[in-house]
Amino acid sequence: MFKNYLKIAWRNLLKNKVFTTANLIGLSTAFAIAILLGMTAMFDLSFDQFHKKKDTVYQLYLSNQTPKGTTISVVNPIPLATALKEEVPGIKHIARSLSQDALITYQNKDFDLDAEYVDNDFFTLFSYPVIIGNTQEPIPNKNSIALSESTAKKIFGDGNAIGETIFLQQGREQVPFTVASILKDTPVNTSVDFDIVIPFESHREYLPNIGIWDSYNHLVYLELEEGVSLSQFEKNTRSFTNQHYENQIESMVRDGALPDTNGQYKQFHLLPYSDVAFVSYATGIAIVNRTFPYLILGIALLIIFIACANFINMNIALGEKRLKEIGMRKTLGAVKRQLFGQFWLESILIFVVSIVLGLIAAHLLLDPFKTLFNTQATLSNLSKPVILVGFFLSLLLITLIAGGYPALILSKLNAIRALKGKWEMGKNRLRNGLIVLQFVIAIVLISGTIVLHGQIQYMRNKDLGYNKEQVVSIPLNGKMDSYRVVQLLREELKNNPNILSVSGADNNLGRGRDGSLSTSKWRFDYKERSIGTNVLTVDHDYLKTLDIPLVSGRSFSKEYGADSLSIVINETMAKELNEKDPLSVKIQEDEATYTIIGVLKDYHFQNINREIEPLTLFMNTDWDLYYAYVKVSPAAIAKSYDAIKAAWGKVEPQAEFLGSFLDENVDRTFRREKTMATIITSGSVLGILLSCIGLFAMSMLVVTQRTKEIGVRKVIGASVSSITLLLTKDFLKLVGFAFLIAAPLAWYFLNNWLESYPFRITLSPLYFAMAGFLAMLIAFLTVGARTIRAASANPVKSLRTE
Amino acid sequence: MLLQLHNIFKWVNSGGQRIFLLKDINFEVREGEFISIMGPSGSGKSTLLNVIGMLDGFDEGEYQFLDEPVHSIKEKHRANLYKEYIGFVFQSYHLLDELTVKENLEMPLLYKKYKGAERKAMVADMLDRFNIVGKKDLFPAQLSGGQQQLVGIARALISNPKLILADEPTGNLNSKQGEEIMQLFKQLNEEGVTIIQVTHSEKNAAYGSRIINLLDGRMI
Repeated sequence: MFKNYLKIAWRNLLKNKVFTTANLIGLSTAFAIAILLGMTAMFDLSFDQFHKKKDTVYQLYLSNQTPKGTTISVVNPIPLATALKEEVPGIKHIARSLSQDALITYQNKDFDLDAEYVDNDFFTLFSYPVIIGNTQEPIPNKNSIALSESTAKKIFGDGNAIGETIFLQQGREQVPFTVASILKDTPVNTSVDFDIVIPFESHREYLPNIGIWDSYNHLVYLELEEGVSLSQFEKNTRSFTNQHYENQIESMVRDGALPDTNGQYKQFHLLPYSDVAFVSYATGIAIVNRTFPYLILGIALLIIFIACANFINMNIALGEKRLKEIGMRKTLGAVKRQLFGQFWLESILIFVVSIVLGLIAAHLLLDPFKTLFNTQATLSNLSKPVILVGFFLSLLLITLIAGGYPALILSKLNAIRALKGKWEMGKNRLRNGLIVLQFVIAIVLISGTIVLHGQIQYMRNKDLGYNKEQVVSIPLNGKMDSYRVVQLLREELKNNPNILSVSGADNNLGRGRDGSLSTSKWRFDYKERSIGTNVLTVDHDYLKTLDIPLVSGRSFSKEYGADSLSIVINETMAKELNEKDPLSVKIQEDEATYTIIGVLKDYHFQNINREIEPLTLFMNTDWDLYYAYVKVSPAAIAKSYDAIKAAWGKVEPQAEFLGSFLDENVDRTFRREKTMATIITSGSVLGILLSCIGLFAMSMLVVTQRTKEIGVRKVIGASVSSITLLLTKDFLKLVGFAFLIAAPLAWYFLNNWLESYPFRITLSPLYFAMAGFLAMLIAFLTVGARTIRAASANPVKSLRTE
Repeated sequence: MLLQLHNIFKWVNSGGQRIFLLKDINFEVREGEFISIMGPSGSGKSTLLNVIGMLDGFDEGEYQFLDEPVHSIKEKHRANLYKEYIGFVFQSYHLLDELTVKENLEMPLLYKKYKGAERKAMVADMLDRFNIVGKKDLFPAQLSGGQQQLVGIARALISNPKLILADEPTGNLNSKQGEEIMQLFKQLNEEGVTIIQVTHSEKNAAYGSRIINLLDGRMI
């Protein structure tokens, strides 16, 4: 019986080559893409999930009531962890952790490494296995460090690493450390990746800040004792916070901040570590948001849905051709169940073949996909038992719906009616419904594509307030004093007519090739008010190099000698100070009095998806620079870049040159948007393509069904165009209807999405009209090709077959 | 007694009016009979045959098949009944185009759950009996009309039914092929198979032992 079914199925598939091919192409493409997208989503969702204690280890964060609302900070002062463990009951383990770059020297060779400064308890909380060394205490004393396996190999080759001494650059000193353990390399799906682990106490900021409660720089993780609940712990911390942050709370009260419902101005909270990779604190509360991976999964499902809808439609339509077979089988004694089984089996056959083809395609596309979508995901992200079983079950379910529905309808038919080939049922409603749904999805995705690209273009072309096309920023990753490097670069490039100016600062613009991003803030009291500002340390010529105009006053200048007590602020900061003449303002802090010497025009010193915040520029050679900026003339940009690289090679021969133009850096900051755009674009292309495959097949069937009608109409005198219109109209109506549903839906989603950008394009109806028109045009071309041919056929031929 | 029809009525409602397809049909069929049903187009011949074959229902009356009350038993039981005892032959053969001659013959056996070896033996037997061994791997489209009908009859006979229902079995054939088919029916009847055929032709009707004439759904 089974063999017979397979045989019949096989021969039927061969007979209906067009439909089989359409189905196979549609389904395998859909599966291939869905597998790849699913893999990406699963990879994103798997971040940090490998830690055994991911649900019982928490990240500590502090919510602060300010006059402008609640803000959240995750960075903490040095004495916090120790004091918390001693004074607040319920903590089992607590560890501090600080990520920073570290420059290591071994036998005169320099290595720029990702360092993690941690307490030993870090390894109790997290699952970073130790290969060689003490598993409990991989860094047993202040002068020991641990290396990842591949880093040890990079530094020591195949030789022994344990017990060797390496030197860590700390400010202007080189401090010796002994390698105590080797750790397994961090997995790709971790938020905290490091090459080297250094004791927290050995950080250069540790000793100077050991009793200081208002300087924050590191994260704190902890595990609670058994039986201690989160709310209990949060309650326990209240008196602790009130005591240790007393000064800050006083100024909060003075500035008019309102306490939270528990009367607290500062409140510690805990976030489960499994949520850390997905949390956003932007609105003052911790929002765990996994939308992005779920959006990807959603698109994968939509694509599968479109392909399945095609399959259902074609299967029902083809069922008509098989009525005789059904009738015959019934008279020969087949019961409903058997017929149902047979048709289901045929569906499973197609699906299994499609999935195999899809898997092969996914495998072949893996590498280009990974580059395109910027992901490290692998197919092994999908090969977990839960997912495989789920996949298998959903396969059964999809085939049961996609193949079973037509099978059910067909198997229910009365034998005699089937034999006569008569089949009157309301199947068109289902067919039309599915086509409309397909096009709704396609149109929503197309609108998404258009709007997303519009927003990216907007962000890329937006005037950021500085010159991003002509300026190269270079991370100062060498050992030499940063001011000296900038000075040497200046001298080295002085005689090059294409180099216009050289400067430096302690922060980058956009995201450079070193990938690091930092924020420094300063809070001070001015006229009984607490004012917060971002701070930036710059070198001479900073404004000139970046073409940032001054609104009033002057910039730092060599002519005025010591400018270390002068500051330059941006317009937002001037507004914050709320003075008629900001240049008259003097800011007193500790022993120093700062004078504002200039106000510069606002520029986007942070990511473009953020409002411009207050900014204060300092020039103080006691504070290091981290980036050099070089402005080149627009004439020979590529040549100038090479010249800068050559100059760098002379100044810092040991350090890698990571210079990049600022427009590249800015592009890098919306990598996420770009990835999203790529995914939605490919989703919409695939969506419209698959919908059209379905439409094409349906139009073919309709044409076959209406051959006689077409013949009769032509004999009576209908023109080719009127018949084409008649046949195409029905389908275009469906697309039009889909547009009516899709447009408001797309508007709603896109509007929501755009709202997270302070600087955004306005949604014009034109975007949606364009998407609708595009879908309509493609549908018309798909259906039209088929119908015009049918309409221009000789009517005598079509009538003769009847 | 093979089957018995008692006051069978069948109708459809059309525009508020009841149109009778079968009206008060009464007759009995004994095993070994060869009955021809005759009548003009639309007189209800095929409908009657379908009712006898249990492919179609009726609205009033009683139908006993081998002492089973067809009018009151469940659909599944009814399916088993005709699967077991009745074979159908159609005017347009109704062979499955995707299957070869051999596979077409095998199909009814599949639904009756015969074992593989048994099926093979029965199919080989039938191919032999109808002299179509050489055509066993051909598809229906590769055969002439007469040959296709031969396969159709072989398929109807393969599971040894007590009754063969034939709806104008020679309607699509030329006269020579038609005659051969009728000879075959006669021979089968002599071997003990009960046959009921619907036909337009007096000549074919003459092969039968009894003729039932229908007009507007009524026996005359």
